[in-house]
Amino acid sequence: MSIDMDQYMGMFLEESKEHLQALNRCLLDLENDPQNLGLLDEIFRSAHTIKGMSATMGFAPIAELTHEMENILDMLRKSQLTADHDIIDTLFNCIDMLEQQVESVANNTGQAPDIHALVSQLSSLAKGEKPSHVIPVKSSEPSTTDSPTEPVACTHLSESELYVIKAAEHKGYQAFEVQVILKKTCLLKSARAYMVMRALEELGEVIKSVPSTEDLEKEQFEYEFQVILLSDADPEKISQTVQSISEIETVVLLPCLDMIAHPETGNVQQINSLPVTASEKPQANTTTQQDKKIKGGQSVRVDIDKLDSLLNLVGELVINKTRLEQIGITHKLSDLVETIEQMDRVTTDLQAVVMKVRMVPVGQVFNRFPRMVRDLSHELSKEINLVIQGEETELDRTVIDEIGDPLVHLLRNAIDHGIEEPLLRRQSGKNPIGEVRLIARHEGNHVVIAVEDDGSGINPEVIRRKAVEKGLISQADAEKMDNAEAVRMVFLPGFSTADIVTDISGRGVGMDAVKTKIESLGGTVEVETKQNQGSRFKIRLPLTLAIIQALLVAVGEEKYAIPLGSIDSTINIQPSDIKTVQNQEVILLRGQIIPIVRLANILSVPGIQSEQQELFVVVVHMGDHRAGIIVDTLIGQQEIVIKSLGKLLAGIKSIAGATILGDGQVALILDVGALMQ
Amino acid sequence: MEQAAYAGEESQLVVFKLDKEEYGISILQVQEIKRMTDITRVPHTPDYIKGVINLRGSVLPVLDLKKRLGLPNGEYTDNTRIIIVNLHDMAVGLIVDGVSEVTAMGTEQIESSQSVAGVNGSSFISGVGKLDNRLLILLNLDTIIIGGQEEKVASL
Repeated sequence: MSIDMDQYMGMFLEESKEHLQALNRCLLDLENDPQNLGLLDEIFRSAHTIKGMSATMGFAPIAELTHEMENILDMLRKSQLTADHDIIDTLFNCIDMLEQQVESVANNTGQAPDIHALVSQLSSLAKGEKPSHVIPVKSSEPSTTDSPTEPVACTHLSESELYVIKAAEHKGYQAFEVQVILKKTCLLKSARAYMVMRALEELGEVIKSVPSTEDLEKEQFEYEFQVILLSDADPEKISQTVQSISEIETVVLLPCLDMIAHPETGNVQQINSLPVTASEKPQANTTTQQDKKIKGGQSVRVDIDKLDSLLNLVGELVINKTRLEQIGITHKLSDLVETIEQMDRVTTDLQAVVMKVRMVPVGQVFNRFPRMVRDLSHELSKEINLVIQGEETELDRTVIDEIGDPLVHLLRNAIDHGIEEPLLRRQSGKNPIGEVRLIARHEGNHVVIAVEDDGSGINPEVIRRKAVEKGLISQADAEKMDNAEAVRMVFLPGFSTADIVTDISGRGVGMDAVKTKIESLGGTVEVETKQNQGSRFKIRLPLTLAIIQALLVAVGEEKYAIPLGSIDSTINIQPSDIKTVQNQEVILLRGQIIPIVRLANILSVPGIQSEQQELFVVVVHMGDHRAGIIVDTLIGQQEIVIKSLGKLLAGIKSIAGATILGDGQVALILDVGALMQ
Repeated sequence: MEQAAYAGEESQLVVFKLDKEEYGISILQVQEIKRMTDITRVPHTPDYIKGVINLRGSVLPVLDLKKRLGLPNGEYTDNTRIIIVNLHDMAVGLIVDGVSEVTAMGTEQIESSQSVAGVNGSSFISGVGKLDNRLLILLNLDTIIIGGQEEKVASL
């Protein structure tokens, strides 16, 4: 009796994750403002939606857990319980558990952790088994073991089910609720139910049944069950098909959406036996009504791959447009040229729109930090005030996906090593509550994300000492180094092994990993620190990974792109300016000796003419190292779209990738780091 | 894997010329056939890798199949084509002297490569197909494209 769930799986995962984030966020707020009923409502709605979706998808543990959460939340709303630490912590544990459950569904591992400890914890909380908050709910009983035995009149639909129904209706399907009552004499109830389901599945799509298909299979129902069916078949026919199965007493077919629109006439009744008194049931229904409230703003979820291919197609369009332009000019077709000018505007706009579509607010990543900071501050018994600014700053999706880990690292370090113990802070005249700020903002073609703390700062002396002890630098070097340089050593790989810096005020755990990651994204990371005032880690990231500014150069017939980020300057020199030091060609630039690389030689470019009178040198840098690259011509600066060379050509020395030029030709992008080795 | 591509009752083959001989690869591996286009040389690659081309916005490598098989070099002409093949989710272009036809061939018409042992570079060949009076050399794209990587490493 499997329903094809694959098509809804993606939607389920995305939506669950969104609701889990919302839960985390609201719960954090609730902790600070326990009386806020609006927050409780929001939490309730998210939990409720997850419950509905997971029940539809057949993920019983998720549904069960959220169901138990709802009980607690409902009691909180009615002030039968107070949102104290125990309850909030338990609810946070529930969210973690739900995250794990969703994760295991996503990975299809089937090894989800057991929820029962949490469920019983929740129900004992619900029973008020806590001295200070005893508000006994007499009629309540743990519901999970009781299967609903009383005949239920109608199915309760969740938001996602409604969504599915509405979507199907657009395609000309109708949703029916099929109520089937078996004859009391029926022997094999599960087999009958199975036959009914089979018959219905042939007529359309079954999106839900009450009781669940699992319970039907286990014969955990009386003589009646309901099925929500999406079908384009004639209701009469559906009814007859089911009727024709033997041992069926009655079949009632109700069109579904009518029922939703008029719940009071549709005899809607909560089917889950909530451990609440009967008088509370209508209130639960009110929430359901709120669930259906239409969200403002319309949007569509799109697979990132589709956006990638859209970007590719737009790129191709631009290239073809350039070709048409050239044809127009060569053949002096003024009409064509005029038309192409129009087209030019359209393609430029189109390209901008596609790029914009790929941009995601950085808040998507930031959202998960308040929770992390809360847990960490509890763990370390430090009070932390996390300030987040600029969540709306947008970055390309490809970058967003990658920056989470480095930021986690920086935040952890700020809290663990940066912020001092409350007592210590009080002694040094600071607010005992430490402040950590996470700030994002645009800066030209870059996005800057800063992680700041008002903690103790990094002590350059300690860093120097440790670096010398670790044998990373010599004592003499350490003495020569200024403070800023010393602090920058936290990024050295040697500093990354734990216990070096953790037992002192400094940082260092995995900082080299942070730096490597940010650099692999084409960004940079800097650190500023002031003793006793705190530190700031500043990450600069390009808006997108896909497009960079580059300088196009030519060597012989070939064109290469050099990323602008690694270019210092371009200069003209005479062949006589080139000197030799130990067989290495160098030039002298403003008193600095710079080794030079002849691109034609290093890339074995064929057909190179003899030495020119004037040479063009592109001075590039990688970290503190500089080098000059000799090329034949500088073509100019332009934005390029980075393409991979593919698996077959992966890892070729000195080539970082390829790009497609305006005329459709492929140009290779130089890997400056590799060229300098 | 390559054998499987030619197995079955009847398989469709794309027939093309290299020098004086006719060759075939399974149509299931062929994505499209393209006229000769601008190819960008990629430094530090084996000589049979001609470079990369722009195929509607994506960059893909192109192999000179004659060089790869050790056949004499020839000029590129109007008949020269690039066959874009798809192998393990990777698109690669193969330069050939001309694509002649698509033909069907039954399994009984194919001799396995063992029976034509002794042919130069026979690991590139998965079999020989007999079509009336013609002989079609069936290529093993796995060794031609992927195998090249290992050889490159081995020769270093």
